[in-house]
Amino acid sequence: MARPREIGKAGWGWTLFAGLISLVYFFPVLWIVLTAFKTRTDALAVPAKLFFTPTMQNFINVFYRESITAGAAQATEFPLYFFNSIFVSGTSVALAIVLGTLAAYAFSRYPLRGNDTYLFIILTTRMMPPIVVIIPIFLMFRLTGLSGSYWGIILLYTAFNIPFSIWLVKSFFDELNPEIEDAARMDGANERRVFFGVCLPQILAGLAATFVFGLILTWNEFLFALLLTGVETRTVPVAMARTMGGEVGVDYGLLAAIVTLFLVPIFIVTYLLQNQLLRGVTFGTVKK
Amino acid sequence: MAHLRVSDVARRFGAVTALDGMSFEVEEGEFYCLLGPSSAGKTTTLRAIAGLEKLSRGRIEFAGRDVTTAPVQGRGMAMIFQTFALYPHLTVRQNFAYPLERERVDRAEIGRRVGEVSELLRVGHTLDRKPATLSGGEQQRIAIGRALIRRPKLLLLDEPLTNLDAKLRHDTRAEFKRLHRELGMTMLYATPDQLEALTMGQRIGVMRGGRVVQIDTPRALYEAPLDTYVAGLVGAPAMNLLPGRVTGGQGGLAVDFGVAGIDLAPGARDLAAGTELVVGLRPHDIRLGRDSARGRTVDAVVHLREPLGDVTVLDLRFGAIEARGAIEAKMVVREEQGALIPEGSAIEVTIDPADLHLFHAETGVRLA
Repeated sequence: MARPREIGKAGWGWTLFAGLISLVYFFPVLWIVLTAFKTRTDALAVPAKLFFTPTMQNFINVFYRESITAGAAQATEFPLYFFNSIFVSGTSVALAIVLGTLAAYAFSRYPLRGNDTYLFIILTTRMMPPIVVIIPIFLMFRLTGLSGSYWGIILLYTAFNIPFSIWLVKSFFDELNPEIEDAARMDGANERRVFFGVCLPQILAGLAATFVFGLILTWNEFLFALLLTGVETRTVPVAMARTMGGEVGVDYGLLAAIVTLFLVPIFIVTYLLQNQLLRGVTFGTVKK
Repeated sequence: MAHLRVSDVARRFGAVTALDGMSFEVEEGEFYCLLGPSSAGKTTTLRAIAGLEKLSRGRIEFAGRDVTTAPVQGRGMAMIFQTFALYPHLTVRQNFAYPLERERVDRAEIGRRVGEVSELLRVGHTLDRKPATLSGGEQQRIAIGRALIRRPKLLLLDEPLTNLDAKLRHDTRAEFKRLHRELGMTMLYATPDQLEALTMGQRIGVMRGGRVVQIDTPRALYEAPLDTYVAGLVGAPAMNLLPGRVTGGQGGLAVDFGVAGIDLAPGARDLAAGTELVVGLRPHDIRLGRDSARGRTVDAVVHLREPLGDVTVLDLRFGAIEARGAIEAKMVVREEQGALIPEGSAIEVTIDPADLHLFHAETGVRLA
């Protein structure tokens, strides 16, 4: 057991130092969030303003604004884009976890001849930058008609998340004490129950961690979303990029408001799962 | 009936042979111990009996039924694992209830049996806690309770005391004996610790290299070990195994193991002079002082003392210390005697020829 330590034992000096370093790393995020509340003039002011009168106009503009072509103010498609991002990321990460967990359990408990080779091959699919395979994937999507559909992008993201899910979840299964599973068998549990009732509950924290990591990666994905989503299935990162062009130049306030809103869902998920997350990433490093 | 018969069981893992023609029988209601070092195949034997391990060869019969290929579930056995193997995500109450729920026992009966078991093992205060919050001793008792609650016909115990500290081991040994007496259950207990086997087992099967080499009561194992392997395993401190040779002494044959001739015990006199031997001598059988009525007195030098509280273990050297290959042996004396003997002092000890165990020099098999 870890020795309990006094809270604040590091002292004020070190705490302040750590705070400063953190601030440097956090600064870009802070800057964007602040900009979201600035008027166009404040956003572009030189030197930059730290103190200003906050406005909600940018946030209103995300959902409801004038456009050059349409003239009068009207609702934007952003509610749809946010739904798309949540739906596509959520579904594909959940799907990847379900498939990855089943595969990981099989790799861990019923190893194939040449198990490690299979695992290595699975990992190789993530070794190159995704852009390398973009042309074949684009052609495959065109050929199968998956381009622009929800299923297309969901399946693609699922495929991206599976290798990572398998490796991570397998390591959690490997850490479990196999005698507990044997005990369950002797207590009358069948194999289905051993998996669902004994193994799975023990790695819930690990699954939560895997879910959050996968979600962050998928949530922010831009390249494939740009090429493979259509008008109806466009995700926020793509929509965000599209607001950057235009005749009036870049509306930094609007962009910052979108980014700020974009941060909220992932922030909430991470916050809700933070305890599980910590246990998940330290899985196996703590003596049982 | 809960008679167990294991016949010629073999289990190979690739090139490794874990069990190699294992055969033994456990009678109904017996407390049977399997004793052997960690690689002897004890755990594999228990797992094979439980059905957790497939056999490469052989047959297992239990309660009058061939269970060699029967599924794990429903063999009517329970097992206590070395790591306790409690369900970490369930409370103690749920751990107890788990085997009964699988058998679809009704709720009222489950509640009653959980109460019964927690009373038997005195763990009522832990019922609503998770295993991780309990002490090692409590976890051990929960593991016992979960195994007992189904009222198995055979209880398999795989080194259940290995993960406990010394004090708890002692208490739990007594606990197992009490449970066996009160429940009259057939128990098969695997351990690398000869003390556990000797104190608890009604019979002990000594294992070596995936087979049973000797089956006997604790008393018989101690008094007449079949070979030098069993002799070294049973008894603490271990039996002294000394090189010896049969020489022609006055009035008959004698064994010379560097000490000078010692008259052979009767019954072993048909050994030819010059035969090489391994001579076994229990540390407890070496007596302090000169006592020509009881045996042969020899000179020795104490070169190390290990006081153990009630007794002291002395490391002796016989013959000239400078001489190459001086014979070393341990003996045990009472603490108050040991305190008077400083390291390096010369003493006289008496050895009764009747206490000598003679083994074949090459095969290690008992001669007399």
